[in-house]
Amino acid sequence: MATKPLSKDPYNIVITGVGGQGNVMASRVLANILVRNGYYVTIGETFGASQRGGSVMSHIRVSRQCAWSPQIPRGRADIAVSLEPIEAIRVLKKYGNPKINALSNTRPIYPVGVIAGQLTYPSLQEIKESVKELCLSSWFIDATDEAMKLGNPILGNIIMIGALSRIGELPMGRNDFKEVISKSMQEDKLDINLEAFDIGTSIVGQ
Amino acid sequence: MDERDKIKGQNELQVTVLNTNLCTGCGACIDLCPYFKSYKGRTAILFPCTLKQGRCFAYCPKVEVDLDELSQKFFGRLYDGNPLGSYQTIMISRAGKKIARSDFQAGGTVSAIVYFAIKRGYIDGAVLTDRDGLLPVPRFITKPEDVFTCASSKYTAAPTLSALNQGIKDGFKRIGIIATPCQALATALMRSNPLEEVNFVDPTGLVIGLFCTWALDFRSFEEFISTRVDIKKITKIDIPPPPTDTMEIYMGNGEKMKIPLDEIRQLIPEGCSYCIDMTAEFSDISVGVLEGHPDMNTLLIRTERGRKIVDEARKDGYLIVSDIPKENLEHLKWAAANKKRRGLAKAKQEKIVNTLKGDKASYLRLNTETLEKITQMTGRSS
Amino acid sequence: MTNLANIHEDAESLLMGNEAIARGALEAGVNVATSYPGTPASEIIENLAHVARERNLYVEWSANEKVALEVAAAASFSQLRSLCAMKQVGVNVAADFLLHLGLSGTRGGMVLVTCDDPGALSSSNEGPSRHFARMFEIPLLEPGDFQEAKDITKWAFELSEEIKTVVMVRSVTRVSHASGNVRLGKLPEDERHAEFKYDGLGLNADEGPAESVPVGEKHRLQQDKLILATKLFEESPFNTYQGPEKPELLIITASAGNLYTREAISVLRVEDRVGLLKLGTTWPLPPLLLKRYLSTTDKIMFVEEVLPFLEENVKILAAENAREIGVKTFYGKNERTMPKTGELNPDIVISALCKILKTDYIAMDPEYEKKFQMPFSAEVPDRARTFCPGCPHRASFWSIHNALQMDNRKGFVCGDIGCYSMGRFSSGFNTTKTLHAMGSGAGLASGFGKLAQFGMDQPVLAVCGDSTFFHAVMPALVNAVHHKSNITLVVLDNSGTAMTGFQPHPGLSVNAMGDEVPEVDISKVCDAIGAKVEIRDPFDLGETQKTLNRMLEDKQGVKVLILQQACALSPEKKHTKKYEMSVDEELCIGEDCGCNRLCTRIFQCPGLVWDNDKKKARIDEALCVGCGVCSLICPAGAIKRKEVA
Repeated sequence: MATKPLSKDPYNIVITGVGGQGNVMASRVLANILVRNGYYVTIGETFGASQRGGSVMSHIRVSRQCAWSPQIPRGRADIAVSLEPIEAIRVLKKYGNPKINALSNTRPIYPVGVIAGQLTYPSLQEIKESVKELCLSSWFIDATDEAMKLGNPILGNIIMIGALSRIGELPMGRNDFKEVISKSMQEDKLDINLEAFDIGTSIVGQ
Repeated sequence: MDERDKIKGQNELQVTVLNTNLCTGCGACIDLCPYFKSYKGRTAILFPCTLKQGRCFAYCPKVEVDLDELSQKFFGRLYDGNPLGSYQTIMISRAGKKIARSDFQAGGTVSAIVYFAIKRGYIDGAVLTDRDGLLPVPRFITKPEDVFTCASSKYTAAPTLSALNQGIKDGFKRIGIIATPCQALATALMRSNPLEEVNFVDPTGLVIGLFCTWALDFRSFEEFISTRVDIKKITKIDIPPPPTDTMEIYMGNGEKMKIPLDEIRQLIPEGCSYCIDMTAEFSDISVGVLEGHPDMNTLLIRTERGRKIVDEARKDGYLIVSDIPKENLEHLKWAAANKKRRGLAKAKQEKIVNTLKGDKASYLRLNTETLEKITQMTGRSS
Repeated sequence: MTNLANIHEDAESLLMGNEAIARGALEAGVNVATSYPGTPASEIIENLAHVARERNLYVEWSANEKVALEVAAAASFSQLRSLCAMKQVGVNVAADFLLHLGLSGTRGGMVLVTCDDPGALSSSNEGPSRHFARMFEIPLLEPGDFQEAKDITKWAFELSEEIKTVVMVRSVTRVSHASGNVRLGKLPEDERHAEFKYDGLGLNADEGPAESVPVGEKHRLQQDKLILATKLFEESPFNTYQGPEKPELLIITASAGNLYTREAISVLRVEDRVGLLKLGTTWPLPPLLLKRYLSTTDKIMFVEEVLPFLEENVKILAAENAREIGVKTFYGKNERTMPKTGELNPDIVISALCKILKTDYIAMDPEYEKKFQMPFSAEVPDRARTFCPGCPHRASFWSIHNALQMDNRKGFVCGDIGCYSMGRFSSGFNTTKTLHAMGSGAGLASGFGKLAQFGMDQPVLAVCGDSTFFHAVMPALVNAVHHKSNITLVVLDNSGTAMTGFQPHPGLSVNAMGDEVPEVDISKVCDAIGAKVEIRDPFDLGETQKTLNRMLEDKQGVKVLILQQACALSPEKKHTKKYEMSVDEELCIGEDCGCNRLCTRIFQCPGLVWDNDKKKARIDEALCVGCGVCSLICPAGAIKRKEVA
């Protein structure tokens, strides 16, 4: 395999969010980009029941050597990409370490226990501070707000992929993204997804 | 401890009243909020409410009823245990010329007064009990003539006060209520602003109490009757005054069935046996039958605003009154005293009278002198 | 959805385990594929249905797994190649037929794919399916990664056709729903012709009648087939070994255990001490191969999901050959080295290995871990599952729960399998009080409804979905009607098999391949069985509750209430909004007496949130789908709904 070496092998990514946010699609797109670039990729996911408002996680293993287990061992994630802010901390609790990076959306989705008034949801400021404390570097972007400007909140997941590409830890670029989605999406959806990707790359710099 | 601390919330109400079978289904807690509903005479809790204090507990006539406090507020004196409660005058009455004969049961006093009160604007609406087949249903009326649709006597407990709660929500300001003793008591509790709400204004214009010895639990009654009769054929139910000891069920084709009251008494909800009030003592006026005279009523006037309306109704030809015969008065006092003594004895037995503050909630609180007096009560004229 | 027929051979693709299995079936020239939806198996048939037209396949979502297996067997008897897929519990449903199929044998290659759910991530149990292979004496194969998911499935058809019996291929969630690199093979071009030959002699495997009798002879023949399979397994490329010639510890594993174990060995850096024997052929066990590896060491560890199937089979083989291979020390579930319940992961294997090899490993730096306990670390609230915004089940359970409370006789609801299984949680108002298997709600209710003679006076209800109705409820309903059981069955008809991804079922007018088909009308079926049937819209809370209270009071026989309203995720509902919702803050009573936050505390729709600063309820625009039901429950009329033009 003619591939660029990774900063760490296997490189472990967790994409997390709430069921229905497009977590699965985001991980597929990312994984396909990496397979295209010649890597072994394993994605581990749970869907079906967890979609009904529960937390969802995709574990993505990227390697030049071989296929790895669909679950990342404890404390071994390299980057946590979070479509929902509190899920970032949930992931860090299990898979975090002092060298991990985090990229997170800022829009909360309140768990049923919080809506019902039994549990409390911390403020965004508290979440940001905790994440900063637990990571080497962290980025927060208003992916849902930008997505709603584009007309559909679910595009938040593509905006996150765009931001991830900009962060530079992984060999993935706009062209890779374009190639992958042109194979998997209907033609009339390509433009808006590219726009979402571009918005992601621009707002993460800020 | 602050007086208000005695008022608790839904959880305690469930534990002290519903779970112990004290509830008589008066309706005071129904439709104040989404959690209490009444269905076929039974009070149901839909979901738990987490509030520590609520109007449901405050208005319930079967928990933390301070008789001295209420008596002081409405009658200016402590509760003295008089068998008929506090009153200005007692007389007999019936509907006057201005009300058609065909429209009412017995003396027609209640219908006449309510009709008059709405017509003259003393009240802007009235809470009554209507009927849907055998099932009594609360009703709020704003037109005087509507009172006649609710004129017949009901013998099963109805959550009538839910219509009061709805009427208050709808913005009515001078509501008339036809209430059984427990309903009148709950209304009095409500009117005393127990939760000390700022800017509280009494939304009632007239409380008419009805005499009541007991009521029947609707579900038990329906089940009992349906084994003897096709419910759909029943047109009227009546319990004639003593000495007849039967319930009479009228079917459309002139048929009449008689059931001994002994069989009916087993259908009385347990909560009724704790009641010490036969004549609806916490009302403006109280109305009941007059023994031996099926076309007359006994009428007690208790408050100024009650007296005023009765006087005007009489002057205007809606009501005819005269003096009550001595034997009727004595007998009424005897019956009322017995109920008072029996009810209090049962409550004392269950240890729910004057419990210490901080212990389990009390049903009744009253001064020890009156408590002793009632315990000794025989009802014979002194 | 990926078009699995469109990727050309030799390409390297990222495929989900289920996609790989489907592709393997296509490369084997499968003709007929059947299934009943069940996580984690559903995608297999979904992918085959997607290419049914261009590959000339017949793909069917059958009424239940037993029928699905029978339909697939018919294809096999007619010399076609067929695949039947199901989750672990589906095999329980199909078991009676599977037992007899083992005896009768098959003709065209036939593969039964079972997808287990260790840890019950999407099930009400974590029951086994592998034991059926041993019990019913058929071969069992288990892919250990995504490439094998494809290759083993393809080979399973060849094996089946060679020895003339159904072959079980067993997967688990972490293979079926995980994805990895898969190199594809060729898609065949040959066509098969369907013909069922039955004129031959009884024992003629190809041309006799397809029967499990005469049992004696057929059973012996069946066991001979297994001996043939065992011989083939000795040389199978799906049994692999990685590690030193004489390892300190030999780990025997299969399926996803392979991936966890490889990871664990790598993390602990014990490649030179530990040998990894991955079996792809797990029943019957190839004895020569196993004896060879068991002889290399005296410490043997097993890594497999839930029950010790592989472990016990190897232990029996080791005991039978003890004289030859020597006495072993085993590390498995029976010795409590590995857990007997729940799902495995690399950390569990790492931990067990550390104990056996007496080596240390720290997963998370203790200083880092401390940071989660520090006061500044934000507390993470649990995220419970709930019904989606706009779900008709929330409205249905609201009415059912309230009708029961008003009825006030301690009535209860027997639950069943589907999204509405969540009726047991607060999101379903804790309404259901029993939960077992498909159709068990109605079955239990049929029993509860006969106990009046023993003093039971509690009203009895059961709920079921429209798909569950056809799967398993119908016999229970017949039973209840015929035996005059006093019950109310509420059919929660949301027009699809929603829990598993919205697949069609016999009540719908479209099938797996998108063709128009006649729908079986649930109300007519219930009526024909003899129940009293009524249909309501669950979004009409008032009417629904009134109807329920009336049914609860009817003590005669079986009442069926069909609550019809499409699932919020259905194609017809998704991306549509019937109402524009808003909260009038002036009217909202909030936490005070008279409301106590009924909408957010009790109703709990994710689209309706509590604004803790304003102390008022608020609509979450991103989540609300505009079903309008919340406006019906607000005691102050503060929640407004306006029809969208």
